[in-house]
Amino acid sequence: MTSRQLLVRDLLVLLAFAGWALALPHYGSEFVISMALTCLMYVALSSSWGLFCGSTRYMSLATSAFFGIGAYTSAMLLGQFSWIVSILLGAGLAALVAVVMGLAVLHLRGTYFAVLTFGMTELIMHAVTYFEKTFSGTVGRVLTVVPESDTIYLTVLALAVLAVLLSIVLRRSRFGLALLGIGADEQRAQTLGVNTRLIKTAGFALTAAFAGAVGAAMAVRWTYIDPHTVFNPFIGFQTVLIALIGGAATLWGPLIAAIAFSVLAETLRLQFPQIYMMSLGLLLILCVLYLPGGLASLRPETFRAWWRDGRQWLRQLGTTERKHV
Amino acid sequence: MSELLLQAREVTVRFGGLTAVDAVSAEFRAGELVGIIGPNGAGKTTFFNAISGVQAPSSGQLLVNGRDLCGHPPHHYAAAGIARTFQTPRVFADMSVAANIDFGLQFAGRRRKGSWHLRDETSILELIGLTHLAALPAGAITPSQQRALEIGMALATRPRLLLLDEVAAGLTETEVDNMAQLIRRMRDELDLTVVWIEHAVSTLLNYVERVIVLHQGRIIADGTPAEVVRNAEVIEAYLGDEMVEPA
Repeated sequence: MTSRQLLVRDLLVLLAFAGWALALPHYGSEFVISMALTCLMYVALSSSWGLFCGSTRYMSLATSAFFGIGAYTSAMLLGQFSWIVSILLGAGLAALVAVVMGLAVLHLRGTYFAVLTFGMTELIMHAVTYFEKTFSGTVGRVLTVVPESDTIYLTVLALAVLAVLLSIVLRRSRFGLALLGIGADEQRAQTLGVNTRLIKTAGFALTAAFAGAVGAAMAVRWTYIDPHTVFNPFIGFQTVLIALIGGAATLWGPLIAAIAFSVLAETLRLQFPQIYMMSLGLLLILCVLYLPGGLASLRPETFRAWWRDGRQWLRQLGTTERKHV
Repeated sequence: MSELLLQAREVTVRFGGLTAVDAVSAEFRAGELVGIIGPNGAGKTTFFNAISGVQAPSSGQLLVNGRDLCGHPPHHYAAAGIARTFQTPRVFADMSVAANIDFGLQFAGRRRKGSWHLRDETSILELIGLTHLAALPAGAITPSQQRALEIGMALATRPRLLLLDEVAAGLTETEVDNMAQLIRRMRDELDLTVVWIEHAVSTLLNYVERVIVLHQGRIIADGTPAEVVRNAEVIEAYLGDEMVEPA
């Protein structure tokens, strides 16, 4: 397929996906709609995470920080501003924090970067808690002005579609190429003329803006928020897990994994609540060991290779057994 | 004298207590083909890192077209027309050979008009002789082909000054000669200034017009190959009894 055909294919798939998600509230039960909303939230979060972190291989654990910032922005401003403006402000504020955070930590790589972004998330959460206790005199906030649930669903859907659309477009741009170059060999990219500091900061801010917008949209669904709910590190971990299981550097990986994950998580949580987290952990381990490219890298050949390796392993096992006899 | 492209003034690079490059001053003019030689650990590569922005000097000045770029990030050097290769090829292994070339064209080479041979991906691939491998991932080609690709990537930034770090290391004798001829050709046909670091001294001395000899981070000689091989300090420090006569 030529690159043009690929573009058309990707856009058509996205359109079909969006159409299906758009129609869902009209025939789905309340349970299905609520599951779809969680699913769309993780599509938006992990696709936008993969956009920056997947291609540059900078593992950011700060998603929950931006999510929480967005949530608090809309919780505090929804009375004065319209829905759209609150969401945009949530995104903007998260991006702003990301720029400051990025300038401080984006020169670090690997574990150091991951740990520091996680540390900063904790810092922001405790700062917000302190602020609320000292100045607002309360820990949580009750949201009184709440839009209809249809509005929330449509907003999160729009964000998810936008995140995937942006991934499609940026993949073909110089910005996307620069991100890939940074992931492959940052210094080499620099010597070929990439302003890596600028690109990394911009990419990080873009990811943060999405997390902020999603946080702003999701906050109203809970009607009561406190720092521990919206800055929950689990949101950040789950985003990373989904992106990694799906294939962080791929276009469709995060989306496929978000859907598979949400369905699996709901089923497991209802059927076997005790082994829910355990099976997620197991899934991640298996993915890292046997499918490093993520679910999106699954091909018929992959299964054939597994089959062959498995048989070979069994045969070897057989010969060693015989030797012992 | 032709135009002064890069002037290093008293460039010093220290790593903790070790002075890898010690107050080195050197000039590179348009159209020159200069060789840099010196024993292992003489500071050749560190000097390259300094004049391409990869390693910020501890002190000194780096005047590129008259502007001091000391302490600037590497992409400023690339934008000023300085391109380099790395001793161990650092190609983007997952991208195709053609995409590796395209990378430079998309960034530092984007707004510059290069010579005819550097007009696009195809012409650069032809120049370095990798046209038949264009679609392969860069990680799948042989190390010596990756070396050629390194040069292609550097050329794609459409530079004025090309810094080659041991591009002939590990090649067979014929390959070394081919490489030397390619380097000569690039200088002549692409309107480039080439600075070439090499460990295999004999080939280098046959092709360059000026040699800089580094020893323990300092320049001990700077002149034509004929002058340098007669220099007593150079013979003592480096060439020893393996004296090489330029043809």
